[in-house]
Amino acid sequence: MAAPLELSCWGGGWGLPSVHSESLVVMAYAKFSGAPLKVNVIDNTWRGSRGDVPVLTSEDNIVSQPAKILNFLRKQKYNADYELSAKQGADTLAYIALLEEKLLPAMLHTFWVESDNYFSVTKPWFASRIPFPLSLILPGRMSKGALNRILLTRGEPPLYHLREVEAQIYRDAKECLNLLSNRLGTSQFFFGDTPSTLDAYVFGFLAPLYKVRFPKVQLQEHLKQLSNLCRFCDDILNSYFRLSLGGISPAGQETVDANLQKLTQLVNKESNLIEKVKFTSIIILY
Amino acid sequence: MSLVAEAFVSQIAAAEPWPENATLYQQLKGEQILLSDNAASLAVQAFLQMCNLPVKVVCRANAEYMSPSGKVPFIHVGNQVVSELGPIVQFVKAKGHSLSDGLDEVQKAEMKAYMELVNNMLLTAELYLQWCDEATVGEITHARYGSPYPWPLNHILAYQKQWEVKRKMKAIGWGNKTLDQVLEDVDQCCQALSQRLGTQPYFFNKQPTELDALVFGHLYTILTTQLTNDELSEKVKNYSNLLAFCRRIEQHYFEDRGKGSSSIRLP
Repeated sequence: MAAPLELSCWGGGWGLPSVHSESLVVMAYAKFSGAPLKVNVIDNTWRGSRGDVPVLTSEDNIVSQPAKILNFLRKQKYNADYELSAKQGADTLAYIALLEEKLLPAMLHTFWVESDNYFSVTKPWFASRIPFPLSLILPGRMSKGALNRILLTRGEPPLYHLREVEAQIYRDAKECLNLLSNRLGTSQFFFGDTPSTLDAYVFGFLAPLYKVRFPKVQLQEHLKQLSNLCRFCDDILNSYFRLSLGGISPAGQETVDANLQKLTQLVNKESNLIEKVKFTSIIILY
Repeated sequence: MSLVAEAFVSQIAAAEPWPENATLYQQLKGEQILLSDNAASLAVQAFLQMCNLPVKVVCRANAEYMSPSGKVPFIHVGNQVVSELGPIVQFVKAKGHSLSDGLDEVQKAEMKAYMELVNNMLLTAELYLQWCDEATVGEITHARYGSPYPWPLNHILAYQKQWEVKRKMKAIGWGNKTLDQVLEDVDQCCQALSQRLGTQPYFFNKQPTELDALVFGHLYTILTTQLTNDELSEKVKNYSNLLAFCRRIEQHYFEDRGKGSSSIRLP
Protein backbone atom coordinates (compact mmCIF):
# COMPACT_ATOMS: atom_id res chain seq x y z
CA MET A 1 0.00 0.00 0.00
CA ALA A 2 1.28 3.40 -0.86
CA ALA A 3 0.02 5.18 2.21
CA PRO A 4 2.28 4.56 5.20
CA LEU A 5 0.48 3.11 8.20
CA GLU A 6 1.60 4.47 11.52
CA LEU A 7 0.67 2.93 14.81
CA SER A 8 1.11 4.83 18.00
CA CYS A 9 1.16 2.60 21.07
CA TRP A 10 2.74 1.94 24.43
CA GLY A 11 6.29 0.64 24.37
CA GLY A 12 7.81 -2.64 25.40
CA GLY A 13 9.67 -4.19 28.25
CA TRP A 14 10.51 -7.57 29.76
CA GLY A 15 11.16 -8.95 26.28
CA LEU A 16 7.86 -7.82 24.78
CA PRO A 17 7.39 -5.30 21.97
CA SER A 18 4.60 -3.73 23.99
CA VAL A 19 3.33 -4.08 27.52
CA HIS A 20 -0.20 -2.95 26.70
CA SER A 21 -2.55 -5.77 25.60
CA GLU A 22 -4.46 -3.88 22.94
CA SER A 23 -1.32 -2.47 21.34
CA LEU A 24 0.19 -5.94 21.30
CA VAL A 25 -2.89 -7.41 19.59
CA VAL A 26 -2.59 -4.88 16.76
CA MET A 27 1.17 -5.33 16.40
CA ALA A 28 0.83 -9.13 16.28
CA TYR A 29 -1.96 -8.96 13.69
CA ALA A 30 0.12 -6.62 11.53
CA LYS A 31 3.02 -9.07 11.62
CA PHE A 32 0.77 -12.04 10.80
CA SER A 33 -0.94 -10.34 7.88
CA GLY A 34 2.20 -8.70 6.51
CA ALA A 35 1.02 -5.14 6.94
CA PRO A 36 3.93 -2.68 6.91
CA LEU A 37 3.39 -0.79 10.13
CA LYS A 38 5.56 1.98 11.40
CA VAL A 39 5.41 1.81 15.17
CA ASN A 40 5.66 5.04 17.13
CA VAL A 41 6.24 4.30 20.77
CA ILE A 42 4.76 6.77 23.20
CA ASP A 43 7.46 8.42 25.23
CA ASN A 44 7.60 11.21 27.73
CA THR A 45 7.81 14.04 25.26
CA TRP A 46 4.69 15.97 24.41
CA ARG A 47 4.45 14.55 20.90
CA GLY A 48 1.34 12.55 20.07
CA SER A 49 -1.73 11.84 22.12
CA ARG A 50 -2.03 9.46 24.97
CA GLY A 51 -5.74 8.87 25.09
CA ASP A 52 -7.40 5.95 23.36
CA VAL A 53 -4.18 4.13 22.52
CA PRO A 54 -3.48 2.21 20.21
CA VAL A 55 -4.22 4.55 17.32
CA LEU A 56 -3.59 3.85 13.65
CA THR A 57 -3.04 6.81 11.36
CA SER A 58 -2.87 6.54 7.60
CA GLU A 59 -3.19 9.58 5.31
CA ASP A 60 -6.42 11.04 6.54
CA ASN A 61 -7.84 8.14 8.54
CA ILE A 62 -7.53 7.85 12.27
CA VAL A 63 -8.77 4.56 13.68
CA SER A 64 -8.72 3.79 17.33
CA GLN A 65 -9.91 0.55 18.95
CA PRO A 66 -8.24 -2.82 18.20
CA ALA A 67 -11.38 -4.31 16.59
CA LYS A 68 -11.78 -1.27 14.35
CA ILE A 69 -8.06 -1.18 13.51
CA LEU A 70 -8.14 -4.84 12.50
CA ASN A 71 -11.21 -4.21 10.32
CA PHE A 72 -9.41 -1.30 8.67
CA LEU A 73 -6.35 -3.44 7.95
CA ARG A 74 -8.57 -6.14 6.46
CA LYS A 75 -10.17 -3.59 4.16
CA GLN A 76 -6.68 -2.59 3.01
CA LYS A 77 -6.20 -6.23 1.98
CA TYR A 78 -4.03 -7.22 4.92
CA ASN A 79 -6.04 -10.22 5.95
CA ALA A 80 -4.68 -12.98 8.16
CA ASP A 81 -7.97 -14.90 8.05
CA TYR A 82 -8.62 -15.71 4.41
CA GLU A 83 -7.77 -19.36 4.88
CA LEU A 84 -10.30 -19.82 7.66
CA SER A 85 -13.65 -21.51 7.06
CA ALA A 86 -16.91 -19.83 8.04
CA LYS A 87 -17.18 -21.93 11.18
CA GLN A 88 -13.63 -21.02 12.20
CA GLY A 89 -14.47 -17.36 11.71
CA ALA A 90 -17.45 -17.83 14.03
CA ASP A 91 -15.24 -19.62 16.56
CA THR A 92 -12.84 -16.66 16.44
CA LEU A 93 -15.61 -14.25 17.47
CA ALA A 94 -16.72 -16.58 20.25
CA TYR A 95 -13.25 -17.04 21.71
CA ILE A 96 -12.54 -13.32 21.59
CA ALA A 97 -15.77 -12.78 23.55
CA LEU A 98 -14.59 -15.41 26.05
CA LEU A 99 -11.27 -13.58 26.49
CA GLU A 100 -12.98 -10.24 27.01
CA GLU A 101 -15.54 -11.51 29.48
CA LYS A 102 -13.52 -13.95 31.54
CA LEU A 103 -9.85 -13.07 31.27
CA LEU A 104 -9.86 -9.30 30.90
CA PRO A 105 -11.29 -8.43 34.36
CA ALA A 106 -8.60 -10.45 36.13
CA MET A 107 -5.89 -8.98 33.88
CA LEU A 108 -7.07 -5.47 34.62
CA HIS A 109 -7.09 -6.34 38.30
CA THR A 110 -3.54 -7.77 38.23
CA PHE A 111 -2.14 -4.76 36.39
CA TRP A 112 -4.13 -1.84 37.69
CA VAL A 113 -6.04 -2.60 40.85
CA GLU A 114 -3.93 -4.95 42.97
CA SER A 115 -2.08 -2.36 45.03
CA ASP A 116 1.30 -4.12 45.29
CA ASN A 117 1.46 -4.63 41.55
CA TYR A 118 0.11 -1.22 40.66
CA PHE A 119 2.37 0.84 42.87
CA SER A 120 5.57 -1.11 42.35
CA VAL A 121 5.37 -2.01 38.66
CA THR A 122 2.56 -0.56 36.56
CA LYS A 123 2.46 3.00 37.81
CA PRO A 124 6.23 3.69 37.63
CA TRP A 125 6.41 2.11 34.17
CA PHE A 126 3.58 4.18 32.70
CA ALA A 127 4.56 7.33 34.58
CA SER A 128 8.06 7.18 33.10
CA ARG A 129 6.54 7.27 29.63
CA ILE A 130 4.19 10.17 30.22
CA PRO A 131 5.41 13.74 30.43
CA PHE A 132 5.22 15.57 33.72
CA PRO A 133 2.76 16.73 35.08
CA LEU A 134 0.41 14.41 33.19
CA SER A 135 2.33 11.50 34.71
CA LEU A 136 0.79 12.33 38.05
CA ILE A 137 -2.75 12.17 36.77
CA LEU A 138 -3.03 9.72 33.90
CA PRO A 139 -1.97 6.45 35.60
CA GLY A 140 -4.42 7.15 38.40
CA ARG A 141 -7.18 7.73 35.91
CA MET A 142 -6.35 4.54 34.06
CA SER A 143 -6.43 2.64 37.34
CA LYS A 144 -9.84 4.06 38.24
CA GLY A 145 -11.13 3.20 34.80
CA ALA A 146 -10.00 -0.41 35.24
CA LEU A 147 -11.61 -0.68 38.68
CA ASN A 148 -14.81 0.84 37.33
CA ARG A 149 -14.96 -1.63 34.50
CA ILE A 150 -14.47 -4.60 36.82
CA LEU A 151 -17.10 -3.45 39.29
CA LEU A 152 -19.71 -2.44 36.74
CA THR A 153 -19.50 -5.66 34.80
CA ARG A 154 -19.08 -8.06 37.72
CA GLY A 155 -20.23 -6.29 40.82
CA GLU A 156 -23.69 -6.33 42.28
CA PRO A 157 -25.74 -3.18 42.35
CA PRO A 158 -26.48 -0.99 44.19
CA LEU A 159 -23.38 -1.32 46.34
CA TYR A 160 -20.26 -2.33 44.50
CA HIS A 161 -17.63 -4.11 46.63
CA LEU A 162 -14.36 -5.34 45.24
CA ARG A 163 -13.71 -8.13 47.71
CA GLU A 164 -16.74 -10.17 46.71
CA VAL A 165 -15.81 -9.90 43.09
CA GLU A 166 -12.07 -10.62 43.33
CA ALA A 167 -12.31 -14.33 44.05
CA GLN A 168 -14.89 -14.80 41.30
CA ILE A 169 -12.89 -13.00 38.59
CA TYR A 170 -9.70 -14.89 39.32
CA ARG A 171 -11.58 -18.16 39.26
CA ASP A 172 -13.14 -17.24 35.91
CA ALA A 173 -9.74 -16.23 34.52
CA LYS A 174 -8.13 -19.50 35.55
CA GLU A 175 -11.00 -21.40 33.97
CA CYS A 176 -10.59 -19.35 30.79
CA LEU A 177 -6.88 -20.16 30.66
CA ASN A 178 -7.65 -23.85 31.08
CA LEU A 179 -10.21 -23.70 28.27
CA LEU A 180 -7.73 -21.97 25.96
CA SER A 181 -5.10 -24.56 26.78
CA ASN A 182 -7.56 -27.39 26.04
CA ARG A 183 -8.50 -25.79 22.75
CA LEU A 184 -4.90 -25.20 21.65
CA GLY A 185 -3.78 -28.73 22.50
CA THR A 186 -0.52 -29.52 20.76
CA SER A 187 -0.98 -27.46 17.59
CA GLN A 188 1.18 -24.51 16.85
CA PHE A 189 -1.62 -22.02 16.27
CA PHE A 190 -5.32 -22.12 16.99
CA PHE A 191 -6.36 -22.83 13.40
CA GLY A 192 -3.77 -24.97 11.66
CA ASP A 193 -0.29 -23.81 10.77
CA THR A 194 -0.77 -20.14 10.05
CA PRO A 195 -1.58 -17.54 12.67
CA SER A 196 -4.86 -15.66 12.48
CA THR A 197 -6.84 -12.99 14.30
CA LEU A 198 -7.56 -15.28 17.25
CA ASP A 199 -3.85 -15.98 17.70
CA ALA A 200 -3.20 -12.23 17.71
CA TYR A 201 -5.82 -11.67 20.41
CA VAL A 202 -4.69 -14.57 22.60
CA PHE A 203 -1.06 -13.51 22.25
CA GLY A 204 -1.94 -9.89 23.06
CA PHE A 205 -3.77 -10.89 26.23
CA LEU A 206 -1.45 -13.63 27.44
CA ALA A 207 2.03 -12.29 26.68
CA PRO A 208 1.99 -9.38 29.18
CA LEU A 209 0.58 -11.69 31.83
CA TYR A 210 3.33 -14.18 31.09
CA LYS A 211 6.34 -11.91 30.92
CA VAL A 212 5.86 -8.91 33.18
CA ARG A 213 7.41 -9.41 36.62
CA PHE A 214 4.90 -8.74 39.38
CA PRO A 215 5.05 -9.13 43.15
CA LYS A 216 1.55 -10.69 43.36
CA VAL A 217 1.43 -13.37 40.72
CA GLN A 218 -1.34 -15.88 41.28
CA LEU A 219 -2.63 -15.69 37.72
CA GLN A 220 0.86 -15.75 36.26
CA GLU A 221 1.70 -18.89 38.26
CA HIS A 222 -1.41 -20.55 36.87
CA LEU A 223 -0.48 -19.55 33.34
CA LYS A 224 3.04 -20.90 33.73
CA GLN A 225 1.62 -24.30 34.54
CA LEU A 226 -0.10 -24.42 31.16
CA SER A 227 2.99 -25.18 29.12
CA ASN A 228 1.34 -25.16 25.70
CA LEU A 229 0.16 -21.57 26.17
CA CYS A 230 3.66 -20.51 27.30
CA ARG A 231 5.17 -22.26 24.29
CA PHE A 232 2.61 -20.48 22.06
CA CYS A 233 3.70 -17.06 23.36
CA ASP A 234 7.40 -17.86 23.12
CA ASP A 235 7.02 -19.18 19.56
CA ILE A 236 5.32 -16.02 18.37
CA LEU A 237 7.86 -13.82 20.14
CA ASN A 238 10.75 -15.70 18.58
CA SER A 239 9.39 -15.97 15.05
CA TYR A 240 7.73 -12.62 14.57
CA PHE A 241 9.28 -10.24 17.02
CA ARG A 242 12.94 -11.20 16.99
CA LEU A 243 14.12 -7.69 16.21
CA SER A 244 16.95 -7.49 18.72
CA LEU A 245 19.20 -9.80 16.67
CA GLY A 246 20.58 -8.26 13.46
CA GLY A 247 17.95 -5.61 13.05
CA ILE A 248 16.23 -7.48 10.22
CA SER A 249 13.08 -9.31 11.22
CA PRO A 250 12.97 -12.99 10.16
CA ALA A 251 10.43 -12.28 7.45
CA GLY A 252 12.83 -9.71 5.98
CA GLN A 253 15.73 -12.13 6.34
CA GLU A 254 13.81 -14.75 4.41
CA THR A 255 13.18 -12.48 1.44
CA VAL A 256 16.87 -11.57 1.39
CA ASP A 257 17.76 -15.24 1.38
CA ALA A 258 15.25 -15.97 -1.38
CA ASN A 259 16.65 -13.19 -3.52
CA LEU A 260 20.16 -14.43 -2.94
CA GLN A 261 19.10 -17.89 -3.96
CA LYS A 262 17.49 -16.64 -7.15
CA LEU A 263 20.60 -14.63 -7.99
CA THR A 264 22.87 -17.62 -7.43
CA GLN A 265 20.68 -19.77 -9.66
CA LEU A 266 20.76 -17.15 -12.39
CA VAL A 267 24.53 -16.83 -12.17
CA ASN A 268 24.87 -20.60 -12.32
CA LYS A 269 22.64 -20.76 -15.38
CA GLU A 270 24.61 -17.99 -17.04
CA SER A 271 27.92 -19.69 -16.31
CA ASN A 272 26.56 -22.99 -17.67
CA LEU A 273 25.49 -21.23 -20.81
CA ILE A 274 28.90 -19.60 -21.19
CA GLU A 275 30.56 -22.99 -20.73
CA LYS A 276 28.36 -24.50 -23.43
CA VAL A 277 29.04 -21.66 -25.83
CA LYS A 278 32.78 -21.94 -25.22
CA PHE A 279 32.67 -25.68 -25.76
CA THR A 280 30.68 -25.45 -28.97
CA SER A 281 32.89 -22.66 -30.25
CA ILE A 282 36.01 -24.73 -29.53
CA ILE A 283 34.48 -27.66 -31.39
CA ILE A 284 33.51 -25.41 -34.31
CA LEU A 285 36.98 -23.96 -34.41
CA TYR A 286 38.41 -27.34 -34.66
CA MET B 1 -20.17 -15.75 47.48
CA SER B 2 -16.77 -16.76 48.78
CA LEU B 3 -15.26 -20.02 47.66
CA VAL B 4 -15.86 -21.73 50.99
CA ALA B 5 -19.50 -20.72 51.08
CA GLU B 6 -20.01 -21.97 47.56
CA ALA B 7 -18.43 -25.34 48.30
CA PHE B 8 -20.68 -25.62 51.34
CA VAL B 9 -23.78 -24.79 49.33
CA SER B 10 -23.01 -27.29 46.61
CA GLN B 11 -22.48 -29.97 49.27
CA ILE B 12 -25.93 -29.29 50.60
CA ALA B 13 -27.33 -29.17 47.09
CA ALA B 14 -25.92 -32.55 46.24
CA ALA B 15 -27.59 -34.14 49.21
CA GLU B 16 -31.21 -33.51 48.22
CA PRO B 17 -33.03 -34.50 45.06
CA TRP B 18 -34.96 -31.98 42.99
CA PRO B 19 -38.22 -31.19 44.82
CA GLU B 20 -41.62 -30.92 43.22
CA ASN B 21 -42.25 -27.39 44.35
CA ALA B 22 -39.27 -25.63 42.77
CA THR B 23 -40.21 -22.12 41.68
CA LEU B 24 -38.73 -19.64 39.26
CA TYR B 25 -39.29 -15.96 39.95
CA GLN B 26 -39.40 -13.26 37.32
CA GLN B 27 -41.06 -9.89 36.91
CA LEU B 28 -44.69 -9.47 35.87
CA LYS B 29 -45.10 -10.86 32.42
CA GLY B 30 -47.66 -8.64 30.86
CA GLU B 31 -46.77 -5.20 32.12
CA GLN B 32 -43.35 -5.10 33.68
CA ILE B 33 -40.75 -7.47 32.30
CA LEU B 34 -38.25 -6.13 29.80
CA LEU B 35 -36.63 -7.74 26.76
CA SER B 36 -33.32 -8.72 28.36
CA ASP B 37 -34.89 -10.10 31.55
CA ASN B 38 -37.47 -12.05 29.56
CA ALA B 39 -34.66 -13.56 27.47
CA ALA B 40 -32.73 -14.63 30.57
CA SER B 41 -35.82 -16.10 32.18
CA LEU B 42 -36.79 -18.02 29.05
CA ALA B 43 -33.25 -19.39 28.79
CA VAL B 44 -33.45 -20.79 32.32
CA GLN B 45 -36.90 -22.23 31.70
CA ALA B 46 -35.70 -23.91 28.52
CA PHE B 47 -32.66 -25.31 30.31
CA LEU B 48 -34.76 -26.80 33.12
CA GLN B 49 -37.20 -28.28 30.59
CA MET B 50 -34.30 -29.84 28.74
CA CYS B 51 -33.10 -31.42 31.99
CA ASN B 52 -36.65 -32.64 32.65
CA LEU B 53 -36.87 -30.79 35.94
CA PRO B 54 -40.30 -29.38 36.81
CA VAL B 55 -40.45 -25.76 37.82
CA LYS B 56 -43.32 -23.35 38.42
CA VAL B 57 -43.01 -19.82 37.10
CA VAL B 58 -44.12 -17.16 39.55
CA CYS B 59 -44.32 -13.50 38.60
CA ARG B 60 -43.58 -10.90 41.23
CA ALA B 61 -43.13 -7.19 40.84
CA ASN B 62 -40.12 -7.07 43.15
CA ALA B 63 -38.34 -10.13 41.73
CA GLU B 64 -35.24 -8.06 40.96
CA TYR B 65 -34.87 -7.08 44.61
CA MET B 66 -35.56 -10.57 45.93
CA SER B 67 -32.77 -12.03 43.87
CA PRO B 68 -29.46 -12.61 45.68
CA SER B 69 -27.42 -11.07 42.89
CA GLY B 70 -29.91 -8.45 41.75
CA LYS B 71 -30.55 -10.21 38.47
CA VAL B 72 -33.52 -12.19 37.32
CA PRO B 73 -34.50 -14.93 37.02
CA PHE B 74 -33.77 -16.82 40.16
CA ILE B 75 -34.98 -20.20 41.34
CA HIS B 76 -36.07 -21.22 44.79
CA VAL B 77 -35.32 -24.89 45.33
CA GLY B 78 -35.69 -26.48 48.71
CA ASN B 79 -34.18 -23.85 50.96
CA GLN B 80 -31.71 -22.42 48.45
CA VAL B 81 -31.98 -19.48 46.13
CA VAL B 82 -29.82 -19.38 43.00
CA SER B 83 -29.90 -16.69 40.34
CA GLU B 84 -28.67 -16.39 36.75
CA LEU B 85 -28.08 -19.15 34.22
CA GLY B 86 -24.41 -19.84 35.04
CA PRO B 87 -24.86 -20.57 38.76
CA ILE B 88 -28.14 -22.41 38.06
CA VAL B 89 -26.32 -24.73 35.66
CA GLN B 90 -23.70 -25.40 38.35
CA PHE B 91 -26.41 -25.97 40.96
CA VAL B 92 -28.29 -28.41 38.76
CA LYS B 93 -25.03 -30.20 38.00
CA ALA B 94 -24.39 -30.64 41.73
CA LYS B 95 -27.77 -32.35 41.94
CA GLY B 96 -26.65 -34.80 39.29
CA HIS B 97 -28.32 -33.46 36.13
CA SER B 98 -26.15 -32.17 33.38
CA LEU B 99 -26.57 -31.61 29.64
CA SER B 100 -22.92 -31.16 28.77
CA ASP B 101 -21.33 -34.27 30.29
CA GLY B 102 -21.04 -35.96 26.94
CA LEU B 103 -18.85 -33.25 25.46
CA ASP B 104 -15.08 -33.51 25.33
CA GLU B 105 -12.75 -30.77 26.56
CA VAL B 106 -12.48 -28.92 23.26
CA GLN B 107 -16.26 -28.93 22.82
CA LYS B 108 -16.79 -27.69 26.35
CA ALA B 109 -14.38 -24.83 25.65
CA GLU B 110 -16.32 -24.01 22.47
CA MET B 111 -19.62 -24.12 24.31
CA LYS B 112 -18.42 -21.73 27.00
CA ALA B 113 -16.94 -19.42 24.37
CA TYR B 114 -20.23 -19.24 22.43
CA MET B 115 -22.18 -18.61 25.64
CA GLU B 116 -19.88 -15.68 26.33
CA LEU B 117 -20.41 -14.45 22.77
CA VAL B 118 -24.17 -14.39 23.34
CA ASN B 119 -23.73 -12.61 26.67
CA ASN B 120 -21.19 -10.18 25.29
CA MET B 121 -23.00 -9.21 22.12
CA LEU B 122 -26.68 -10.12 22.21
CA LEU B 123 -27.37 -9.31 25.84
CA THR B 124 -25.41 -6.06 25.72
CA ALA B 125 -27.19 -5.07 22.51
CA GLU B 126 -30.56 -5.76 24.16
CA LEU B 127 -29.60 -3.65 27.16
CA TYR B 128 -28.40 -0.87 24.84
CA LEU B 129 -31.61 -0.91 22.87
CA GLN B 130 -33.75 -0.88 25.99
CA TRP B 131 -31.96 1.77 27.98
CA CYS B 132 -29.79 3.89 25.69
CA ASP B 133 -31.99 4.32 22.63
CA GLU B 134 -34.17 7.32 23.38
CA ALA B 135 -37.15 6.22 21.32
CA THR B 136 -37.43 2.83 23.01
CA VAL B 137 -36.74 4.26 26.45
CA GLY B 138 -39.44 6.86 26.18
CA GLU B 139 -42.13 4.68 24.68
CA ILE B 140 -41.59 1.31 26.25
CA THR B 141 -38.95 0.90 28.91
CA HIS B 142 -39.75 3.69 31.35
CA ALA B 143 -43.42 2.89 31.33
CA ARG B 144 -42.92 -0.84 31.80
CA TYR B 145 -40.12 -0.74 34.37
CA GLY B 146 -41.93 1.48 36.81
CA SER B 147 -45.45 0.21 36.19
CA PRO B 148 -46.04 -1.59 39.54
CA TYR B 149 -45.04 1.43 41.57
CA PRO B 150 -46.89 4.68 42.39
CA TRP B 151 -45.72 8.10 41.26
CA PRO B 152 -42.99 9.37 41.81
CA LEU B 153 -41.28 6.09 42.61
CA ASN B 154 -41.80 4.73 39.13
CA HIS B 155 -39.88 7.60 37.54
CA ILE B 156 -37.09 7.55 40.13
CA LEU B 157 -36.47 3.82 39.80
CA ALA B 158 -36.52 3.96 36.01
CA TYR B 159 -34.05 6.85 35.88
CA GLN B 160 -31.78 5.16 38.41
CA LYS B 161 -31.70 1.96 36.39
CA GLN B 162 -31.07 3.89 33.19
CA TRP B 163 -28.15 5.70 34.78
CA GLU B 164 -26.67 2.42 35.98
CA VAL B 165 -26.93 0.79 32.56
CA LYS B 166 -25.46 3.84 30.83
CA ARG B 167 -22.47 3.76 33.21
CA LYS B 168 -21.90 0.13 32.37
CA MET B 169 -22.13 0.78 28.63
CA LYS B 170 -19.56 3.55 28.93
CA ALA B 171 -17.19 1.35 30.94
CA ILE B 172 -17.16 -1.39 28.33
CA GLY B 173 -16.79 1.00 25.42
CA TRP B 174 -20.35 0.87 24.05
CA GLY B 175 -21.18 4.39 25.21
CA ASN B 176 -20.26 5.97 21.90
CA LYS B 177 -21.85 3.40 19.64
CA THR B 178 -24.73 4.38 17.45
CA LEU B 179 -27.81 2.20 17.04
CA ASP B 180 -26.65 1.14 13.58
CA GLN B 181 -23.32 -0.08 14.93
CA VAL B 182 -25.13 -2.05 17.63
CA LEU B 183 -27.40 -3.66 15.03
CA GLU B 184 -24.28 -4.50 12.99
CA ASP B 185 -22.86 -6.27 16.03
CA VAL B 186 -26.09 -8.21 16.48
CA ASP B 187 -25.93 -9.23 12.84
CA GLN B 188 -22.33 -10.40 13.24
CA CYS B 189 -23.27 -12.41 16.31
CA CYS B 190 -26.25 -14.03 14.57
CA GLN B 191 -24.06 -14.82 11.58
CA ALA B 192 -21.53 -16.53 13.83
CA LEU B 193 -24.27 -18.53 15.58
CA SER B 194 -25.84 -19.46 12.25
CA GLN B 195 -22.51 -20.62 10.84
CA ARG B 196 -21.77 -22.65 13.94
CA LEU B 197 -25.24 -24.26 13.90
CA GLY B 198 -25.10 -25.09 10.22
CA THR B 199 -27.64 -27.80 9.41
CA GLN B 200 -27.49 -29.60 12.75
CA PRO B 201 -30.56 -29.77 14.98
CA TYR B 202 -28.69 -28.45 18.01
CA PHE B 203 -25.32 -26.79 18.47
CA PHE B 204 -23.62 -30.00 19.55
CA ASN B 205 -25.44 -32.25 17.18
CA LYS B 206 -28.03 -34.50 18.69
CA GLN B 207 -28.43 -33.34 22.26
CA PRO B 208 -29.29 -29.87 23.44
CA THR B 209 -26.98 -28.19 25.91
CA GLU B 210 -27.12 -25.02 27.98
CA LEU B 211 -25.85 -23.12 24.95
CA ASP B 212 -28.99 -24.13 23.04
CA ALA B 213 -31.13 -22.96 25.96
CA LEU B 214 -29.37 -19.60 26.11
CA VAL B 215 -29.52 -18.96 22.37
CA PHE B 216 -33.18 -20.00 22.26
CA GLY B 217 -34.03 -17.68 25.16
CA HIS B 218 -32.51 -14.66 23.48
CA LEU B 219 -33.57 -15.29 19.89
CA TYR B 220 -37.14 -16.26 20.73
CA THR B 221 -37.59 -13.17 22.87
CA ILE B 222 -36.14 -10.92 20.17
CA LEU B 223 -38.43 -12.46 17.56
CA THR B 224 -41.60 -12.22 19.60
CA THR B 225 -41.29 -8.91 21.40
CA GLN B 226 -42.90 -5.81 19.97
CA LEU B 227 -40.49 -2.87 19.98
CA THR B 228 -40.72 0.58 18.43
CA ASN B 229 -39.22 -0.78 15.24
CA ASP B 230 -38.57 -4.23 13.89
CA GLU B 231 -34.91 -3.84 13.00
CA LEU B 232 -33.64 -6.15 15.72
CA SER B 233 -35.96 -9.01 14.84
CA GLU B 234 -35.28 -8.46 11.13
CA LYS B 235 -31.60 -9.08 11.78
CA VAL B 236 -32.39 -12.46 13.30
CA LYS B 237 -34.94 -13.37 10.62
CA ASN B 238 -32.22 -13.19 7.99
CA TYR B 239 -30.90 -16.54 9.19
CA SER B 240 -33.34 -19.30 8.41
CA ASN B 241 -31.54 -22.03 10.33
CA LEU B 242 -31.82 -19.95 13.50
CA LEU B 243 -35.58 -19.56 12.94
CA ALA B 244 -35.93 -23.31 12.42
CA PHE B 245 -33.87 -23.89 15.58
CA CYS B 246 -36.20 -21.70 17.67
CA ARG B 247 -39.30 -23.38 16.26
CA ARG B 248 -37.88 -26.79 16.94
CA ILE B 249 -37.13 -26.06 20.57
CA GLU B 250 -40.46 -24.32 21.07
CA GLN B 251 -42.36 -27.28 19.67
CA HIS B 252 -40.33 -29.90 21.44
CA TYR B 253 -39.99 -28.45 24.88
CA PHE B 254 -42.76 -25.97 25.35
CA GLU B 255 -45.77 -27.24 23.51
CA ASP B 256 -45.47 -30.95 24.01
CA ARG B 257 -45.49 -30.50 27.73
CA GLY B 258 -48.78 -28.65 27.50
CA LYS B 259 -47.27 -25.33 28.56
CA GLY B 260 -47.33 -22.42 26.17
CA SER B 261 -44.57 -20.25 27.47
CA SER B 262 -45.81 -17.39 25.38
CA SER B 263 -49.18 -16.93 23.81
CA ILE B 264 -47.51 -15.26 20.82
CA ARG B 265 -46.48 -17.84 18.26
CA LEU B 266 -43.40 -17.48 16.13
CA PRO B 267 -44.20 -15.76 12.82
